[in-house]
Amino acid sequence: MDIFTTLSTGSGYWNPLAWLGGFLVITVIVWLIWSRGEKSYKKGTAQTAPYLSGNAEPAKGDVHIRAGNLYWGYTEALKGYYSRIVPIHTGILNDYVMWYLGVTALLIIVVVIFA
Amino acid sequence: MTGGLELAILAGWTIVVTIFGLVAGLVLLGIDRKLAAHMQARVGPPLRQPFIDFRKLMIKESVVPANAIPWMFNIAPVIALISSLVILLYIPLGSIPSPLGAFGDFVLVMYLLTVPALAMVAGGFASGSPYATVGAQREMVTMIAYEFPLAIVVVAIAWRLGAAGIPDAFSLATIAAHPVWSVVGPLGILGLLLLLVVLAVVSPAELSRIPFDSQEAETELAGGLLVEYSGRNLAMFYLAQGVKTLVMGAIAVAVFFPWNISSFISMPGGVAQVVDIVFFLLKVILVMFFSVSLARVAMARFRINQIVSLYWIYIGVIGLSGLILLMADAVLVSVAGGII
Repeated sequence: MDIFTTLSTGSGYWNPLAWLGGFLVITVIVWLIWSRGEKSYKKGTAQTAPYLSGNAEPAKGDVHIRAGNLYWGYTEALKGYYSRIVPIHTGILNDYVMWYLGVTALLIIVVVIFA
Repeated sequence: MTGGLELAILAGWTIVVTIFGLVAGLVLLGIDRKLAAHMQARVGPPLRQPFIDFRKLMIKESVVPANAIPWMFNIAPVIALISSLVILLYIPLGSIPSPLGAFGDFVLVMYLLTVPALAMVAGGFASGSPYATVGAQREMVTMIAYEFPLAIVVVAIAWRLGAAGIPDAFSLATIAAHPVWSVVGPLGILGLLLLLVVLAVVSPAELSRIPFDSQEAETELAGGLLVEYSGRNLAMFYLAQGVKTLVMGAIAVAVFFPWNISSFISMPGGVAQVVDIVFFLLKVILVMFFSVSLARVAMARFRINQIVSLYWIYIGVIGLSGLILLMADAVLVSVAGGII
């Protein structure tokens, strides 16, 4: 296959190399702009301390945001859904197998009806 | 030889579009600030203020915080700007064809829109600041929220054009060349109006503007994602903001308002392109006024969980209604066509 060929799905299309080419040309332009900016700053001074609204910085581990909070807004907004889904995940293998068999049986019935 | 010449022309055209995108983006930011100021009974800054801000940022120190991951902290704003500019290469600007329009479709543009946001997320996580981390988390959640309605718009428009027998319906050049309003009946027009509302509500979230700016939220997160950024790195994010504004406006124009003056009035080629690009910018300004400037002046910030509910439930339902109306319209138009 010619690597320069544009990939087509029948409806959509894209050419990764064209994207890469455009990306590289723009990278040169942006790098030229970025490199003309001021590079220096005062390392090791209060300037490099994290901004915490004027409060002293606690121990590093104490200000770390845990990954468990990553999708808080999402789970909070859809808690009506998660409050039903989470209890189903019991951690018991028998339950998972039952769900697997149940869903598979349902799919087979649907396939038979619509076949 | 011909291939080399084509590549050189493409590269040259890419440079022109890039410079246009950078300048037009800053002009749009200036117009947005001026319009917002007038709506708040203020004089506001001059239109060239974003250029002054950019120049000032470039001569300020670019501090890398002690807790940051330096290479990721520095590269994130550069990637955000590059990826914003790359999207512009796929979108038609007035009657001027896009450099890479033949090499990527509307679905690709939708995916590329996530790259600047992901670069901002990477920069936020690399900052080593709790404010920036919370901001990065909110940016990710916001992105997950608005991608669904945006995908509905993309699929609905392309599907309707395809149903009307137009080939390459996912190509933005095709979408711009065949105004979707002209292929639909009354039901379809209603559906398109709903989809226009959806895109108008998605745009401020893509641009992290009020009421969907919870990831930056100056009053609670002190700038969130950008809290530790300064100097040239902040300048890159600032430029990216301008380019993204142009990109979102250009997408809305290409999909919903693609008409050019040269289609109605006969003009010499060069003059037509200049007139069309000016008209294109006017349309972008108009779209951005209603979608961004007016919304950010009139509304307060949503909480992050409200943003998810809004996009996944309310805007999602509006988008799906628009899609269903377009499908019903396609059936009715084809039945009516068969009867005639």
